[in-house]
Amino acid sequence: MTPTSRRWVRIAFAGPGAVLIALVVMAGMTLWLPAGKAGIDNLVLPLVLAPLIWAGLFFHACLDRRLGRVAIVAMVLLLVHSGLIANRFREKISTPAEAHR
Amino acid sequence: MIRLPRDETKAMVAVHGWSGILLGLLLYAVVLTGTAAVFAEEIGAWSAGHVATRSAFERPMADSLRRLGAKTPDRYSEAVDLFETGDHDLGVFFHRHEMDRGELISRGIFYVVGDDGRVIHRQAGTNEDVYGARNDNALSSFLVDTHVRLHVPNPWGLLLTGILGLSMLVAAVSGLLIHRHLFKDIFTLRRSGSAVLANRDAHSVAGTWSLPFAFVLAFTGSFFSFFGTVGMPVVAMAAFGGDVQALTEAVYGTPGKPDPRPAAMGNMDRINADAIARAGAVPTFVTIENFGRADAKVTTYHPPRDAAIAPMSLLYDGATAAFLQEKPLIGPRPSTGGTLAAIMSPLHFGNFAGLLSKAIWFGLGFAMCYVTYTGIRLWLVRREGGVRSFAWLERTNVVVGLGLPFALAASTAVFLVAMPLGSATWWTPAGFLIGTALAIMAGAIAPNAERLSAWLRGATGAMLLLLPLLRLLTGGPGWSTAFVAGQPIIVTLDIAFLFAGGWTLWQLRRNTDRPRPSIALQPAE
Repeated sequence: MTPTSRRWVRIAFAGPGAVLIALVVMAGMTLWLPAGKAGIDNLVLPLVLAPLIWAGLFFHACLDRRLGRVAIVAMVLLLVHSGLIANRFREKISTPAEAHR
Repeated sequence: MIRLPRDETKAMVAVHGWSGILLGLLLYAVVLTGTAAVFAEEIGAWSAGHVATRSAFERPMADSLRRLGAKTPDRYSEAVDLFETGDHDLGVFFHRHEMDRGELISRGIFYVVGDDGRVIHRQAGTNEDVYGARNDNALSSFLVDTHVRLHVPNPWGLLLTGILGLSMLVAAVSGLLIHRHLFKDIFTLRRSGSAVLANRDAHSVAGTWSLPFAFVLAFTGSFFSFFGTVGMPVVAMAAFGGDVQALTEAVYGTPGKPDPRPAAMGNMDRINADAIARAGAVPTFVTIENFGRADAKVTTYHPPRDAAIAPMSLLYDGATAAFLQEKPLIGPRPSTGGTLAAIMSPLHFGNFAGLLSKAIWFGLGFAMCYVTYTGIRLWLVRREGGVRSFAWLERTNVVVGLGLPFALAASTAVFLVAMPLGSATWWTPAGFLIGTALAIMAGAIAPNAERLSAWLRGATGAMLLLLPLLRLLTGGPGWSTAFVAGQPIIVTLDIAFLFAGGWTLWQLRRNTDRPRPSIALQPAE
């Protein structure tokens, strides 16, 4: 990969990539974070932490010398949290269908 | 002290510079109006000449509330908000929650009850109408609206200020990372060197001292901007299949078994008296859920206790007026998420320790404005003599940096004239636009940036000096009346405006008198 294309990949991860992944992580976090004593931690903490998650992804994309590691961290976060959300929707769809049987 | 390798430092310098250049001027507008809005409540009392000091929650209201409940359609009894409006009048908003184009809104009937218990205003509308600008709070409301969304319609305005918050976060963190000598920089102010070095030092010192504050402001500000526009829908989508109302219920609602049987409202005066005694302060806001039902719940919200940051709230049974529990602001019982979310507001507004914390927040906000303004100037000086000319940006920086305080002072002057005539909601933004147009015109005709700066500073200083006089001439309470009524804030703000105006003009005169040193421009470190 040429230095120019490496730079653009980095910009893509720091810019639109960080926004997209932060949104997906925020949604996915609601499904694995413990609800806590009040039953709201899993709903409130992702909302509170969203700007910091974005900043973490942004600075990681800017500062990590190994572009491969930037890509791996971002893609793992994206895939794990997308998977959790997809699983949640699959469960929701299958629950009413089973109830009809 | 953080030591980054050379390439990463270079990247961070670029990120720091571009985050300021691309959005710096808009960020400056948001931070400056936010700095002024720290004192929105006090500015509201000063500008409207409010002299009543007895809170609406200390006066009897139970009968008025029952009477209003009886004549309000049942469909708006889902919730009632009680808050102070105008000169300690009581605002009562009977409403229900509904979704409007994907946004959760409140719709109902709003009453204002005067200090004699009579209804002085009735209005059907949504939360946007009820909590929007009125004639007497048009100035403070204008300041807050500019800060919150730059007068861009929602959700775009909130998204814009959220993005500005993130860019400030980036500027703060990258600013920290590029400091080679963080502790040395805090105390280094070289006055004998070149003007560029002196400016760079001043930028560094102000930036370094206000760094933690910038981080907190940027973090909490972007949280508020994205909370309702992006955060709630995304979390609701994942956790409640997109039902934002269900998410709001889960986070803010008071759990309990529904009991829809009709029941008369308990004695609200007893609740208010008990809440004031328990919290040691009058409520800032009161909500009633399920008004007129057996399961009605009253929540009173109070400022933080001494040495606390999070505001407190108390829960009462609405039908019996019995105290139930001290309730966290968010969630039914104390939790990490609830506490973190609850401290966001005091950390952003600096209102957790009265006027002292507000004054500190104001000072640090002012430092942030200075950092943004001088940061852009430094970026421009570094590029002076380059292939591309940035003279237009230098002029724009002066028009925004110094024209904005002028336009705000102009809108204040116009408000003071228009409020007694009842047309302040229209004239306050109009006054701001007139001030802005004058600043832009000055920018277009000024021979150079230095002259433009002198014009705008002179005009702002004169306008600030004029404000207390204008307030008195348009029927505002005099200093003795304000003192007797227990409103020293009116006098304090008069003095603050006189001092700020005098200082601005004195600085201008001092700069004009002083022989101009020959400036040898050097690239800043």
